[in-house]
Amino acid sequence: MSEKILGKCRRFLGSLAHMRKLQMQVIKADEKSVTVVLPVQDQLLSSELDTYMHGGVLTTLVDTATSLSTIPALKEYELCPTLDLRIDYMSAPVTSQPMYAHAECYRVTRNVLFTRATVYQENPSKPVAYAISTFMRPGAGNTDLAFKALVDGVEETV
Amino acid sequence: MDLLQQRVNQAHASGDYQPVIDLIPYAGVLGVQCERFGEEMIFRLPRNVDNIGNPTIPAIHGGVIASFMELTAAFQLTLQLEHPALAKIIDFSVDYMRAGLDRDTFAMCTVERQGRRVANCSIIAWQERKSQPIASARGHFLLDSFSSLT
Repeated sequence: MSEKILGKCRRFLGSLAHMRKLQMQVIKADEKSVTVVLPVQDQLLSSELDTYMHGGVLTTLVDTATSLSTIPALKEYELCPTLDLRIDYMSAPVTSQPMYAHAECYRVTRNVLFTRATVYQENPSKPVAYAISTFMRPGAGNTDLAFKALVDGVEETV
Repeated sequence: MDLLQQRVNQAHASGDYQPVIDLIPYAGVLGVQCERFGEEMIFRLPRNVDNIGNPTIPAIHGGVIASFMELTAAFQLTLQLEHPALAKIIDFSVDYMRAGLDRDTFAMCTVERQGRRVANCSIIAWQERKSQPIASARGHFLLDSFSSLT
C-alpha cells in the first residue's frame, strides 16, 4: 500500500516543472503522512548572505508537502487547489543542510481537506517552521483525466 | 553589514532594484523583478514555465505565488526602512482566490504598521486586474534582529 502511495506522490511531484527545478523529492509516504526533502543546491546559496534568506523557498516546500499529503487521504486522486496556507517560523533555517517537510492530512470532508506540516533540518524535534493549509476538493469528475491517470499510474492495472 | 545599505542606496538613486533582489537567491530562481512608480513599488513575477505547479490548467505553483508575495514583503520592508536590513519573518498567511495562470504576475505590499520591533504587512497579487487579485496575504516581520547579515 505504501509503495503505491509513494509511487503516486513521486509521479505527481515529477510532473511539476518547479519541483524538478528545485530537485524536490518524496522520501517517505504512507497512509498517514508524506515527507519531502529540498536538497542543498547552489542555485539557493548566496555568497553574500547566509541562512534564512532562503526566503520564500520554505513556503514552496510546505505548499508542496501539504498538497502531497492529500494524496494518501483520498481513495482516488483529485487535484485540489489550495484555499489558504499559514506558516509560523520557529527559527532560521540554514542553507548548509537539506530541509525536510513532514505533512499530514488530518481531516477530510466532502468539500475540504485540512492539512498540517512541520519543517525541520538536522533535528526533527527542533522544527524550523509549522504550517497549516486547507484545500478544496474539486468534486467528482472535475480532475483532468489524463493528469489523474498520470498520478494514479498504470502499474496496478497491468 | 553595509553591502545591503550600499545596494539599497544605489538602487534608490538609479531606479534599478535588481542588485537588491539578487541578494536573495530564490528570488533569482523565480525571476522576481521590481519597478518603482513614485512612492509605490510593484514587483513582477514574469511568466516562466519553470514556475508551473498545475500542468492541467496550466497554473503557477501555489507555493511559488506565496513565496513571491513573501519576497515582495521582505523587499518592500528592506527598501523602506531607514536603516535597510533584511527583516526576519515571523509568520505568513496567504489566501488563494483565483488560479494563477501561466502569465506575468504582479504584487504589492502595504506596510500597515511599522513598530519598533514588528512590521505588519499585507500583500496582494494579481495578473490582469488589480481589482481581481489571485491571492492576498498577511505577514509579520521582526525588525530588531539583523544579526544574520554578514
